[in-house]
Amino acid sequence: LLLPLVTAHAGGQPNSPPGKPVLTSCRSPEKETFTCWWKPGSDGGLSTKHSLFYRKESSDAVHECPDYRTAGENSCFFNKNNTAIWVNYNITVVATNSLGSAYSDPVEVDVVYIVQPNPPENVTVSVMEDKGWPFLRVSWEPPRKADTRSGWITLVYELRVKLKEEDDWETHLAGQQKMFNILSLPSGGEYQVEVRCRPDHGFWSEWSSTSKANVPHHFRRDNSTWIL
Amino acid sequence: LYMVAACSAIPITDLLDRASQRSDQLHSLSTTLTQDLDSHLPLTVRLTLPRPSVCHTASLQTPNDKEQALQVPESDLLSLARSLLQAWEDPLVFLSTSANFLPHPAQNAISNKIQELRDHSKSLGDGLNILSGKMGPGARTISMLPYTGGNDVGQDTISQLINLNFLLSCFRRDSHKIDSFLKILRCRATGLPQMC
Repeated sequence: LLLPLVTAHAGGQPNSPPGKPVLTSCRSPEKETFTCWWKPGSDGGLSTKHSLFYRKESSDAVHECPDYRTAGENSCFFNKNNTAIWVNYNITVVATNSLGSAYSDPVEVDVVYIVQPNPPENVTVSVMEDKGWPFLRVSWEPPRKADTRSGWITLVYELRVKLKEEDDWETHLAGQQKMFNILSLPSGGEYQVEVRCRPDHGFWSEWSSTSKANVPHHFRRDNSTWIL
Repeated sequence: LYMVAACSAIPITDLLDRASQRSDQLHSLSTTLTQDLDSHLPLTVRLTLPRPSVCHTASLQTPNDKEQALQVPESDLLSLARSLLQAWEDPLVFLSTSANFLPHPAQNAISNKIQELRDHSKSLGDGLNILSGKMGPGARTISMLPYTGGNDVGQDTISQLINLNFLLSCFRRDSHKIDSFLKILRCRATGLPQMC
């Protein structure tokens, strides 16, 4: 007769139905597939299962998440066959344990508005020279997954550059180009460059990993008159 | 006539480039407009808004993923874009008249943006007409999508906001379709995928 009391005490808190899960974000890297992530609420001290359900606009059918594995824990991945655009998905996550269920607030998404590409790839920086003055030539490729070649996705690029020991980046918008020259280099030293991209009507990617280039020491062009 | 003659001398790639720049602006503008209106709608009302699946253009069959979109012939893509744009001629007039009497703190800004939307649509429409003359008979076909929503925006503030908001959400989706079709066309026309 004492046993239930003892277990409740040992757990610190009595068991309860699960807390409300929160759908944190949905993102598509290429306008062809997408993933939604959630944050579970409290498990109420019991083994708790989370399921994601969705309903597409203009249909009453409710479907369960097709793939809980591909995108890791607390996520649902929609592959190409399960992804349509220009259709709103109404998405809800349900947490269930032996004492009850809790529903997240629903989220409504159209895949065309949640596009965030992966960062640009193969970012290379080379030190070039123009009339004895060094400049940096930065070139890169679009993220492999984004199909820019068919026009399915249009990307614009931004790059940022700084000397290794500096804190502040200087940014340049490169437009649709996949190459950019940085002409004004205040001094020699190790330069760090990163590039990111944004689709039309979508979100900026993360910055690419840092690419480096060593620029030989040189006199600043506008200082040269002073030296003379 | 001089204008038409001048336009016919412009390469198709340039025309498509200009058209897709214009459609890009058109869509961005519709996004800011939706946000302007949305910000003033109580959340409870926002959740009851009709869905774009009941828009007057929803009956037009359009591709709904990349695989389908890339299979559509060029002239049909242009025809889809033109049909959608044409379907908004009347509702945009209705939108701009209604916006003149909108009980909304940002009424003036909203009215101006809707006027801009009309101007952009008009010039994009003119551009697409010229393009359609250069892209084969299929591009000249237009599907008629009559707007039957009527000219009554509603009596009270909330129903006015709901109606405008719904219409704009429809326009936003359609302008995104138009923009996507034109950007695919632009890439195909250059014949240089590495430039896209």
